[in-house]
Amino acid sequence: MLALGKSKTQAGRRYVIRTLAFMGGYLAVNTAAIFGAFDDIRSPVAAWALALVVAAPVAGQIWATLALMKESDEFVRALIAKQFIVSAGVAMALFSAWGFGESYAGAPHAQGWLIYPLFWAVYGVVSPFIRSSR
Amino acid sequence: MKNRLKLLRVERGWTQEQLGQALGVSRQAVIALETERHDPSLDLAYRIAAVFERPGEDIFENPHSG
Repeated sequence: MLALGKSKTQAGRRYVIRTLAFMGGYLAVNTAAIFGAFDDIRSPVAAWALALVVAAPVAGQIWATLALMKESDEFVRALIAKQFIVSAGVAMALFSAWGFGESYAGAPHAQGWLIYPLFWAVYGVVSPFIRSSR
Repeated sequence: MKNRLKLLRVERGWTQEQLGQALGVSRQAVIALETERHDPSLDLAYRIAAVFERPGEDIFENPHSG
């Protein structure tokens, strides 16, 4: 889900297609869940299978990003790596702080899957400010 | 790293896109090199020197030389 401006290159176009495919699956399963499509699941095995199916596009998206880095030039590769490291670090710090808030300060529980949208939200905020490979 | 990339490119009447194609990098990378937001790898520096048919020292300022 990097900036669509990267779609000017062949690698960028492939990345956009892969992202749309993975995020389409992610959104479809979650939308179906919101509308109760899986409310009747009782078996723990089926429930875990559903959890893994929803999480699979997240792994796919990471693969798509690694593929983009592999197919990009050294500047774009360095920039993506830097943006990812900063975004992951900030997202982990924020989510960890919230988790400790739950443990020590009675903060309301936040579902673990929120780390993924949080990561992309942070990415959207920080990446415009990371323009140098240094 | 300070460099004369933009000057050399403009002298030849090339666009950033054209230089990027000659070097095998994106226009984004050319912009980053020209604005000193990216220090090229040794491989890319050699490619730049080859494209402009000049030694690297004519293009990049050595930050370690007095």
